[in-house]
Amino acid sequence: MTRYLSFAGIKFRSKMAYRFDYVLGILNTLLSFVVYWSIYKALYNGASEVDGVTFSMVTTSFLISLGLSAAFHKNEMFLQDKIKQGTIANELLKPVNFKLRMLFEDMGEGAFHVVFNFLPTVIIACFFAPIQAPSGARDVLLCLVSVILGYVVLWEISFIVQSWSFTLFSVWGLITIKNVMVNILAGAYIPMWFMPDWLRSAIRFTPFDSIYFTPVQLYLGELGGKEIVFHFARQLFWITALWAVGEYFWRSGIKKLVIQGG
Amino acid sequence: MRDILSLFFAYAKSGLKSRFQYKLDAIVATFAVFLREAGGIIAMYLALLKFDTINNWNIDELLFLFSLIFITYGIFIVFFMALRDFSDWIRHGDFDRVMLRPRGLLTQLVLCGADWLAALGHGTLGIVLFVISASRVGIQWNPAMAVYYIIAVISGVLIQGAIFLFFSSISFYVVETGSLKEIFYWNMRKFAIYPLSIYNRFIQSILIFVVPFAFVNYFPAQFFLRKADMAAYPEWLMYISPVVGVTLYLLAYSFWRFSLRFYKSTGNG
Repeated sequence: MTRYLSFAGIKFRSKMAYRFDYVLGILNTLLSFVVYWSIYKALYNGASEVDGVTFSMVTTSFLISLGLSAAFHKNEMFLQDKIKQGTIANELLKPVNFKLRMLFEDMGEGAFHVVFNFLPTVIIACFFAPIQAPSGARDVLLCLVSVILGYVVLWEISFIVQSWSFTLFSVWGLITIKNVMVNILAGAYIPMWFMPDWLRSAIRFTPFDSIYFTPVQLYLGELGGKEIVFHFARQLFWITALWAVGEYFWRSGIKKLVIQGG
Repeated sequence: MRDILSLFFAYAKSGLKSRFQYKLDAIVATFAVFLREAGGIIAMYLALLKFDTINNWNIDELLFLFSLIFITYGIFIVFFMALRDFSDWIRHGDFDRVMLRPRGLLTQLVLCGADWLAALGHGTLGIVLFVISASRVGIQWNPAMAVYYIIAVISGVLIQGAIFLFFSSISFYVVETGSLKEIFYWNMRKFAIYPLSIYNRFIQSILIFVVPFAFVNYFPAQFFLRKADMAAYPEWLMYISPVVGVTLYLLAYSFWRFSLRFYKSTGNG
């Protein structure tokens, strides 16, 4: 385990090298947030709440889900490049689990972006937009745990799509389509509360709302004791199920992999 | 002129051929671009199922507004792709190659760079949005209206072309302009997609005076739709998109001519 944690640590530190990139990253995230803040300000048009959802709940939800989706953005052509260039052969020779190593490296990068991109964005946004304070220290802690679990769900969906690189010429198209689905269905572009009922009940059976919406609900203190347990159980269920699917694609991919030279 | 046309078609043919070498991949990628751009629109559509209108714009009127951004970008990407990625041309020394050929520099760049997959993705989306909305927003279509729509589209392409001609000229001095483009084009475009009137004064001024995206879609759309929120701006702004487009392009062109003399090859051609 410490071995994999050090992979995460190395990635975190290597990211520190590009300073201007993170100023720009904060600006990008902040401006996306301002777009959606303005849209919902116009939609609310001064109303204090719509369907029991206040405007500050909406902005808070956008800040968390848009902010995290920007922070969790990563190079999703990683596996394809490794396969195309043949360097995956070297990876397979190393005495570490490739998938776990990839997960921890990406988590290191994600953690970096959360600290240096997401947090500054949140702090700046608090100055001009109505952001709700967390309902308590316990909720912040639970939210943090569910952010990590949500990240793993997101990562596994990405890995499953990436593992199609074993069969397809390029997975760029599939990844782009997957990202549109995640951004809409996980609630980064529209708060889950305003989805049409049929869509929202369909999403309940998918992993999408355990990515950003569970952390949002925990942060806002919307969930009671039993529901908290249920939502964490759901996140863990999806992590296990998607891991199994990813493992299947990975194993069958490796089996038929042919590398020419490299 | 015939010479230029045949050059354009020759480039287009080879460009399309190379992109469609892997047919299934090209089709999936085109669809992916289409869907990626439609993502925000789908979210807006879902939100309006709940809220009905945004600043009194209903969903059809919004789709009409969106159509201008996507159609103009679809055409822009056919002619100005090389300028969009011009820093790469300089860094890789490809611009030296252009300089050795017996045609105008800008002519060659404009003719050869089309990204057909992106153009198809954006263009199709724009056309789909236009077809869905054009008959449902209460426009009395007549030849004059149709001509103004075409003029508005051309102006929108010129405005975005001019913006990138500025960036490209700056590449002669500093080579790397990625962050500039990110801040002044891509981020501004995020704002420009939606009705100008939903933003605060500061953002509105930027979109009118600094990166004049408002003349690509909002003001031309107001010419056709005459929504109440236009009252916040002088009425003549609805008519001057072509003037803005041509002026901006000429300014950018003179800046390009001026900056060209400072070009130094990066030397890895």
